Amino acid sequence: MLELLPPLNDHNLPWMDTLHPIVVHFVIAMGLITFVFDLIGSVAKKPALFEVSFWNLLFATAAIFVAILFGQVEAGLADPYGASSDILNWHSTIGWSLAGILSLLSAWRYVIRKNDPKQLPLAFLGAGGVLTVLILVQVTLGNQLIWVYGLHTVKVVEAMRAGLV
Amino acid sequence: MVHFIPSDSPIDQLAPALGPNGLPYSLPIHPNLVHLTIGLFVIAITFDIAGALYPVEKRVFRFLDLPVTRQGFHDVGWYNLLACAIASFFTVGAGFFEMLLAVPLPGVTSSIGLKSMETMLWHGVGGVLILLVIVAMTVWRGYQRFRWRKDMGRQVQWLYLLVGVAMFLVIGLHGTLGAELAAEFGVHITADQLLAAGADLKEALP
Repeated sequence: MLELLPPLNDHNLPWMDTLHPIVVHFVIAMGLITFVFDLIGSVAKKPALFEVSFWNLLFATAAIFVAILFGQVEAGLADPYGASSDILNWHSTIGWSLAGILSLLSAWRYVIRKNDPKQLPLAFLGAGGVLTVLILVQVTLGNQLIWVYGLHTVKVVEAMRAGLV
Repeated sequence: MVHFIPSDSPIDQLAPALGPNGLPYSLPIHPNLVHLTIGLFVIAITFDIAGALYPVEKRVFRFLDLPVTRQGFHDVGWYNLLACAIASFFTVGAGFFEMLLAVPLPGVTSSIGLKSMETMLWHGVGGVLILLVIVAMTVWRGYQRFRWRKDMGRQVQWLYLLVGVAMFLVIGLHGTLGAELAAEFGVHITADQLLAAGADLKEALP
């Protein structure tokens, strides 16, 4: 499979920079803002915000599959060392789970919206809270992979190729 | 001509109080807030484009049995941009704090041919200018929504969308500089900084 990709550069990647962190902008921002707008919409009784969070949720759901696609390729090329292997495993597991959860929430929200777009059940708000916590955990794990272990950074790839890590 | 000859680096004053990544905490804040700035801006403009092209696409949504209103698309365009403008002050604020503490790896030239100080200057000044544009666009968007185009189906001017799409390119380039500060210059990355200091990662980061 790997021979189908262009040769690896000094980031150990077939493309210029890691693409996964770019695609996750849309999962993180749209996932978190869904809960924020649902919360404000419920507290301030502004049902127009429910429509805004619906579209954000739908976009987060679409984006996570693209994020996973690039995430899997880049994880496969990451050569994790030390404790970062475990972190990467957790990050992958939660990532796939989030794809399932976001899809379920989108489907649930579609039905809610179809029945009455001006009402949001408290249960959905609770689910949005759980989603928010999961996203924050997932972001923290991803942060450790890059900011602590420096996976796919030039310096770490260089050390790896020299057999130093 | 006589040029500037700095005597020492002020980061030395704080070094004992900082972690191996050069920050008083282990994970930088700016790159996380950036998710909000970029995600919210891009989706705001995208939905305003969808709202503007509504007459073209409404058949598709009818085919998908997805009830859609033009107003709903423009609501996403407005509220996401508003949230983007608010969040971006924190993005730039955190960015400044963390860039003041940045010590890039020596002797590196980025893949687009810039040295670390040039990259930081472009990314720092560019970041403030982008914040300025985002705030100006939010005010502009507000005027379109609440004054100029209040009773119109298409809530945004074509020029606004054009500026928005142009900003995608600017933000993309700007984000690349930021990504290079991390992945190439090793700024605030524990492993990179430890390697540069000559540490053995097998012991330092087990």
